[in-house]
Amino acid sequence: MIDQPLTRRSFLPAGLALGGIGLQLAGVSALAADAPAASAPGGLTAAPTSMAGVSPRLTVHAIDSFHGVTGAGLKIDLSRFEGDAWKPLKSVQALGGGRPADPLLLGADYTPGRYEILLHLDDYFAAMNAKLPTPSFLSKVPLRFTVIDATQRIHVAALFSPWGYSYYRGS
Amino acid sequence: MAGISTHVLDNYTGRPGAGMRIDFSARQKDGSWKLVKTMTTNADGRTDGPVLAPADAAVGEYELAFHVADFYAPRGTSIGDPVFLDRVVPLRFSLFDVKQHYHVPLLCTPWSCSTYRGS
Repeated sequence: MIDQPLTRRSFLPAGLALGGIGLQLAGVSALAADAPAASAPGGLTAAPTSMAGVSPRLTVHAIDSFHGVTGAGLKIDLSRFEGDAWKPLKSVQALGGGRPADPLLLGADYTPGRYEILLHLDDYFAAMNAKLPTPSFLSKVPLRFTVIDATQRIHVAALFSPWGYSYYRGS
Repeated sequence: MAGISTHVLDNYTGRPGAGMRIDFSARQKDGSWKLVKTMTTNADGRTDGPVLAPADAAVGEYELAFHVADFYAPRGTSIGDPVFLDRVVPLRFSLFDVKQHYHVPLLCTPWSCSTYRGS
């Protein structure tokens, strides 16, 4: 059983690395370590933002359907299939709203290809102090998709729990 | 019955995902993946035999890789837009107790998929 207490130390390195967003991540830590505020679970204080009409880009949004909160603090790796292997492009972390600070790919970086978003669910649920078996059913989950037409915006929406997940072309 | 089983549901048509290739692999100690076997779903969207028989179940991480593009291409799916799913969708999960059974289905359309620990 994963039974490690979540401490602020768990999120401190991320907060330091991400500098200005440390405050938001501290909120995540507080949510997991203490009783969440009933009126405002993590990241659920504002209505969704429409991205209709924005320029072509790759974006991602992750929702923790186990706790009913956004996937704040979730580590996300982006890779592209090049030649005969998956090449890591970047690693980011979801902020309070369940989205990384910036689009995963934008402008000249957003090109057709096969992509993988890797969700670090094991680290996330450990930080949330979820009681799960060892090894957990899901650990690092790959979401593979294609960008065929880079003039179209692609939004990858992911819903996850320790026992299942789904992803789809969102909006 | 312990072990691993799977089931493909094609939510685009609302039918079992018949004739889909699935590659089953096991994570090795060095972190690499070893292909155990390749199967094709039957008319009910299931494999004829168990993915992993109870006697072969071991704690560790496994992968079911579903060849969704090959599945949708010949069906003339009038998708109209570029497909979203990659040609192969991997589901990775771990067995933590070999006495339990792990049913891991794939529900898919050209634009979405989901999985869960089923029954």
